[in-house]
Amino acid sequence: MEPMERLGVGIGWRPEIADAIGDPAALPGLDWVEVVAENIHPDRLPEALLRLRERGTTVVPHGVALGLGGAERPDPARLRALAERAEALDAPLVSEHIAFVRAGGPGTGVAGMEAGHLLPVPRTGDALDVLCENVRIAQDALPVPLAVENIAALVNWPDEDMTEGAFLAELVERTGVRLLIDVANLHTNHVNRGEDPATALAELPLEALAYVHVAGGVERDGVWHDSHAHPVTRPVLDVLAELCARTTPPGVLLERDEDFPHPAELAAELDTIRATLRETAHHA
Amino acid sequence: MPDAPHPAEPARIPGAASAPEDPGTPDTAGTPHPAPTPDAPHATDAARERLARAQAGLLAALVAGAPVPAGFDGERLAVQSRALLAKRAGVVAKVAPELPRLLGTARYHEEFLAYATDRPMTAGYRHDALAFAAHVLDHADLSPRVRHALGTWHADRAAPVPPTRWQRLLRSLPPRTVRRIG
Repeated sequence: MEPMERLGVGIGWRPEIADAIGDPAALPGLDWVEVVAENIHPDRLPEALLRLRERGTTVVPHGVALGLGGAERPDPARLRALAERAEALDAPLVSEHIAFVRAGGPGTGVAGMEAGHLLPVPRTGDALDVLCENVRIAQDALPVPLAVENIAALVNWPDEDMTEGAFLAELVERTGVRLLIDVANLHTNHVNRGEDPATALAELPLEALAYVHVAGGVERDGVWHDSHAHPVTRPVLDVLAELCARTTPPGVLLERDEDFPHPAELAAELDTIRATLRETAHHA
Repeated sequence: MPDAPHPAEPARIPGAASAPEDPGTPDTAGTPHPAPTPDAPHATDAARERLARAQAGLLAALVAGAPVPAGFDGERLAVQSRALLAKRAGVVAKVAPELPRLLGTARYHEEFLAYATDRPMTAGYRHDALAFAAHVLDHADLSPRVRHALGTWHADRAAPVPPTRWQRLLRSLPPRTVRRIG
């Protein structure tokens, strides 16, 4: 596997915080951004994103609608759209999720439905075979490497054969895909499914790590909601520290999607992430 | 596109041996570079069918009011189901901010819940926003002012794109001519 591109510490680009992201006084030391692929058009990129590109800031398109973990082969039009965005942004890689986002339709006995969100794939041999083939189809259609992300789950599939770490390790071995590890999602699966992040991290092929997501959420009635609308909490930073003790992530990205705080608060969260990286630096 | 032809196995590993007999067993032994699952063009078809039924069963329980599939925790599914509804209401409010503005935020959420529970999204958020507005116009008790404003909003957005010259020409022809052309 080729060495990963070093990305550094970044933040999810959203129109609501575009001004702060474009202002080095507001969010100093920002190395890169990620943009939701479905929210931009390659011919009409937002001015603020173009200015970031002109300054040499790396922009990585992050897809949310492919549904690589779905039963269908990925839609060629969606793959083409993702490839066009990677090219328009001159991105070193693109990322998507290990999830299904739609189901039903011919042969299933129910009409086609969209989830409007990322839903977990059962960790079974069937789902892994399908996911591996879907990932390879996507890799063939994309001009740059693909990284896939572990999602936050509220529901458990019955009769799963594999742990999350083992499932991801097998996926990487069979496809060579890179991993985007969301430490907030590992925390979510700890609270909601009783899966220990340390176990997952120990099983993960960290040499495939492309970058890491960090995000805030909230616990309600014993269930963790990965809201991206709350501050990043200590347990999530602890999972980041645990990961950093095992490897040096090529990139770390803070995600905030709603209830945007004052930029100073985001800057402080980015500083906390940098401090976590420094303090728990992995020494090979 | 379940019947779309599967592209030939990627040529990522030039000169790799042709596929072994058992398409279900990945050949990963000792290769530093990822080995492809030696699948024939449709080796995953059976797995896809089983997965499609399982995922449809779960999603129907989450968004279409179908029964909880065997083995799942019903309470947890209810939490996920409410989370999906809340997110859907939030995104529709973002793509069509006029709707919560016209109805008022509390009323918007109340009506959206009544509309969306058991009614899955099928064609994206913009379509969802239009279908929701139509549902409210048909079922909700609205003041004349809100009804008029919402009706206008819906009519403006539900209108097809402006007719092309060819369509205008067809429309200008006597009905019988149009039928023959069609």
